[in-house]
This record gives sequence, structure tokens and C-alpha cells, in this order.
Amino acid sequence: MGEVFSNLGMGFGVVFQLVQWTPAFLGGMSIPIPVNILLCLIGALVGTLVGVLPGIGTIATVAMLLPITFGLPPVGALIMLAGIYYGAQYGGSTTSILVNIPGEAGSVVTALDGFQMAKQGRAGPALAIAAIGSFFAGCVATVLIAVLGAPLTKLALAFGPAEYFSLMVLGLIFAVVLAKGSVLKAIAMIVFGLLLSMVGSDIETGASRMAFNIPELADGLGFATLAMGLFGFAEIIRNLDAGGETDRQLVQQKVTGLMPTRKDLKDSTPAILRGTALGSILGILPGGGAVIASFAAYTMEKKLSKHPEKFGSGVIEGVAAPESANNAAAQTSFIPLLTLGIPPNAVMALMVGAMTIHGIVPGPQVMQKQPELVWGMIASMWVGNLMLLIINLPLVGIWVRLLRVPYRLMFPSIVVFCSIGIYSVNNAPTDVMLAGAFGLLGYWLIKHDFEPAPLLLGMVLGPLMEENLRRALLISRGDWTVFATRPLSAVLMAISAALLVMTILPSLRKKRDEVFVESEN
Amino acid sequence: MSETPSHGPVKYIMPKWIRGPQDFVGGLAMVGIAVFALWASSDLQGMRGFSFGAGTAPRMFAYLLLGLGIAITIVGLVKHGEHITTYAWRGPLFVSLAILSFAASIRPMGLIFSAFTSFLISAMGTPETKWKQTIIVGICLTTFCSLLFPYALGLPLQMWPKFMIR
Repeated sequence: MGEVFSNLGMGFGVVFQLVQWTPAFLGGMSIPIPVNILLCLIGALVGTLVGVLPGIGTIATVAMLLPITFGLPPVGALIMLAGIYYGAQYGGSTTSILVNIPGEAGSVVTALDGFQMAKQGRAGPALAIAAIGSFFAGCVATVLIAVLGAPLTKLALAFGPAEYFSLMVLGLIFAVVLAKGSVLKAIAMIVFGLLLSMVGSDIETGASRMAFNIPELADGLGFATLAMGLFGFAEIIRNLDAGGETDRQLVQQKVTGLMPTRKDLKDSTPAILRGTALGSILGILPGGGAVIASFAAYTMEKKLSKHPEKFGSGVIEGVAAPESANNAAAQTSFIPLLTLGIPPNAVMALMVGAMTIHGIVPGPQVMQKQPELVWGMIASMWVGNLMLLIINLPLVGIWVRLLRVPYRLMFPSIVVFCSIGIYSVNNAPTDVMLAGAFGLLGYWLIKHDFEPAPLLLGMVLGPLMEENLRRALLISRGDWTVFATRPLSAVLMAISAALLVMTILPSLRKKRDEVFVESEN
Repeated sequence: MSETPSHGPVKYIMPKWIRGPQDFVGGLAMVGIAVFALWASSDLQGMRGFSFGAGTAPRMFAYLLLGLGIAITIVGLVKHGEHITTYAWRGPLFVSLAILSFAASIRPMGLIFSAFTSFLISAMGTPETKWKQTIIVGICLTTFCSLLFPYALGLPLQMWPKFMIR
């Protein structure tokens, strides 16, 4: 236990670190500035700002804002990115409550009851409960990360290449099981991602693979390029398609009376507790994450409720549970990333991308060699949640005004912003064109009901999987049974197989579809 | 609304025996990608004894995708599914053009010119654009970006056209 406290202490030390700023105009006087706190604040603010824009999901927000963190030192950049992530999530729930347009899949269920509450003039309490629930979930998740971090890292150090490979297979299978829609298509997307990650030079032999002698492809496809194309540009094209302005039924009344009543608090407390618990567990599972957590929490709350028929007509539990769950899951999904170095979902995959750009290879080694980075990030999560609670409620008025920005002005701005962002990664015009091509690809994928998120996950895990597979087979002298004979690996493989079989079984498949159907009616 | 109807299913393009055109075409496209990848990685070395060659993993994934693509195609044949929705042409066209124009002009013309032109080009992506408003917002955004990226974020971007710097 003591270790947890000293670690968290170090983390908070990093977050509250003061940097002496000596500007010339003050004549040698220096002012202490809490740089990391400021970065966390800016991240949360900008994240909410972009996340609030309708039709832009969490992944798109993080991808789009990735370039603004490039110039920062690694710790600051990661703290800011984490802030952006939470901000985006919170922004997403604000739009679902006020406009009934969920900015991201995770807040689809929030819209069901949240928007009804807003229509009844109770947008204030809905937003407040969403913020309070998220904050509570954030606190619990932060403690959970701190407690589980160290032991899981020790476990990870005992992992050999075979175990790593099996674990990644498990993660990908989880991602498939929890993805919406067809299982086959989700697997195809992952494999497509794996295939895309093979472009570039081979890690062992240095041979150029599928690069067609194009110099820009020699180092492989840029991660930021792919993410911004698939999520940024594709989203824009898709939204244009849907005729931007048509279904924006903005709540016109002024948001007044933020404070929830005592009854609201009493009703939502158990929902927040259950949502947090469920979200924390689902977040840790590889492949899990905010989306599935909020769906599951809503479904569970409806099942447990004494008045399930009221769900969908504006009950506070219907906001409290999914919001707490998605925030809890958003944070606990950092656990597999920080301890094992395996991103459990697409947003975490983006985090890996950001880390790699800063020269950090996520995994157990980071926890040991750069503890201040990891713990600083963990502590910043709590600070970020606190900031969201403090800044967002008073700023609701501004967010509402932002929602009135017409799409015809918003989308060209996003196109330009993304283009500059992608260009600034490598100063390469080819990257911008590639991102454009991926944007069209993403549009096509959406049109054919392929989800781009698993593709991103596959793209990040590809090189890791290949490396570990090669090593495992080299150590076992070409014996493929190594994955079944090493106990830990065998267990992981068995779980993956069982999961896959279960999803294909008709009865379970129905259950799985049911959870997602909730969002569509 | 835009002149392109967004959700009307395209009927009668596909023969009747294809029950789920969306999956059918999607699956075929995956097969196509897999075949292309197999061709692209065909010159790479395969297994040497029990160690992987450069081409082993790409080919493995490509074969996997090939199998999945065939499976999706078959599902599209036998299971009733979604029709293919129409593609809008206006949005994708102008957004792509804007991106291309940015990529082509950023080196020779600098940030200010390329950001503003690509803003205007992408604004053509919707018929709802009101030009006066768009130009004002475009100027504001260009100013914002040319302060944010080079100054606030310290990224080395060239601001003005090359011929003017000289």
C-alpha cells in the first residue's frame, strides 16, 4: 500500500511541478508556472471545445489535436493528450444531452434520457449529474490504476514473446466481440490494419515491404496520417453526405438551474456506483473501452430498475450510469497500455502513436525506467477530472453557443486544421495526400458498414504481433505448439477461442445485438 | 437539403440473387485488397528454416484477409442484407480537392496561401455555403492557424510564398 502512495505522490509531484519562467521584459525576475497543470487544463478545454462540435467523436478529436502536442516534452504532451481525451468525452456527452447528437459512440445512450431531460427543461441537472458521475468514476479509476499498475507490471515482465502474442490475440478477439455489427467484418478490419502496418521496412532484415519504391512509404504508413484520414476526413465527408444541418434540434431554452435536486442525487447515487464498477472492469479488458461500458451500464440499470418502462423518457439514472461507466472505462483502459504496452482500444492506440512519436515504447519497461512519466500521467488523470468538473459546468453556456456554429463553416476549418496538422508531423506533402486517400477509404468503409476503429487497433498492434510471433517461433525452433504448451499463453489462447466460439453461437449473438440495438430506437 | 439524396437504396443495379449487396461488394473489395497485397509482397523472402522472412507475415495476413473477404462475400450472397447506399459526389470531391490543393501548394506557396485556398475549395463541398461569411471565417481561421502552429506551437512552417521571401 505504501508503494501506491509514494508512487502517486511522485505523480502529483510531476503534475504540480513548477517551472521558473524568466521573461526578458521583467528584467531577470522569474515567475513559477505550473506547466503541467496548465497543459492539462488547456488539453481538457480544447478537447471539450472540439468534442462538443457535433459529429466529431473522441477518436477524431484526439487524432486531430495530436499535432498540437508534438512540440512539448513527452510528459507534458501525454498529460495534455489525456486531458484532451477526457475533455472530448465530456464534450460528447454535452452534445448528446443538449442536441441529441452524440459526438461519439460512447455517449449514444446518454442521449436517450439526457435529451429527454433537456426537453423538459432539466438540461442543467442532467449535465451536472453527468459531470459528477464522471468525476466520481474518474477518482475510483485513478486509484484503481495506481493499485493495479505495479503488480501488473511485474506480471508483464514474466511474459515471454509467446505470452505477448497470445495476449494481443486475446485483445483483438475482445475488440471483435465488443464491436458493433458483423463479427466477420470486424475481424477483416483488424487484419486489414495488420496488413497496412506491414508497409515499410522489415524490422529484422530491413527489406522494404510493399513500399513500391516510394520514399515516403519506406518508413511505413504514418500513424497520425492514417488516424486523421480515417477519422478526421472520413467523418467530414460522411457528415456532408448526411446534409449537415438537417437533424439538429437544438434545445432553445436557456440552461438554467444547474443544481440537481436532492431526489436526483438520491436516484443517481446507486446508478453512479454501479456504472463506475461495471465501467472499471470493462475498461481493463482488452478490446473494451468507453463505448461498450456505457451501453452495458445503461442496459444493466434498466434491468435493475423498478420502473424500466420510464427509461427513455428522461430519467436521471439513464444519464448517471452510462456517463460514470464510460469515464471509468476511459481511464482504466490506460491500465493495459501502461503496464503491458498493449492498447486495448482505438483511442489507446492513438496514445501509443503519440508515445512512439516522442520516442517512448510503451510497456513494462517504461513503468520502471521512466516512473515519473507514467505516474505523472496517472496523477494528471485525477487532476483532469477535477478540472472538467470545475470548468465545464460554468462554461455550459459557451458550449451551447458553439453548437450553433453552422456545419458549412465548421467543416472547411476542420479540413484545413487537419491538413496543417498532418503536414507538420513530417513536413511532407505526401502525408497530406495519403491522409486524403485514407479519408476516402474511411468513407467507403462506413458506407459498407465496416468499422474503422478495429483497423486502427490492428495497425498499431501489427508490428508488435509480428515481432513477438517471430521471436516466439525462433525460441521454440519453429514449433507452433509453443502457444499451447506454455501455460500462460495456453490460457490466453483458450479464452480467445472460447470468446470467438461464443460470439458465433446464435443465442449469444442475439444478446450481443440486443445491447447495441438500444441505441438505434 | 443537398441535391444528393443520402439514404435512398440503389435498386436494380445488382442482380436479384445477391441478397446482401453491401456485404457482397464489401467482401469482394477485401478480396481485392488481399490479392493486391499478395502481389505486392510476392518479391519478399519467405521462411528460412524456422525463422520468418520479410515476406512471411505480410503474406500470412494477406491470406487471412483473403479468406475473410471470401467469407463476407458468401454472406452477402446468401443472407438478406443492406442495399448499397448512394455515394454523394460533392462532399468527397471538394474535400479531396481541398486536401490535394493544400498538399500541392504548401511547399511553394507557404501556409497562409494554401490554408486559405483549401478552406475556400472545401467550402464548395456543400451547397449551403454563403460566400461572404465563408470568406470572413476563412480569413479568421488562416490568421488563427498561422499564429497557432508556427508561434504558439513552435513548428517550423513556412508562412509566405517562396518567391516573396527571396
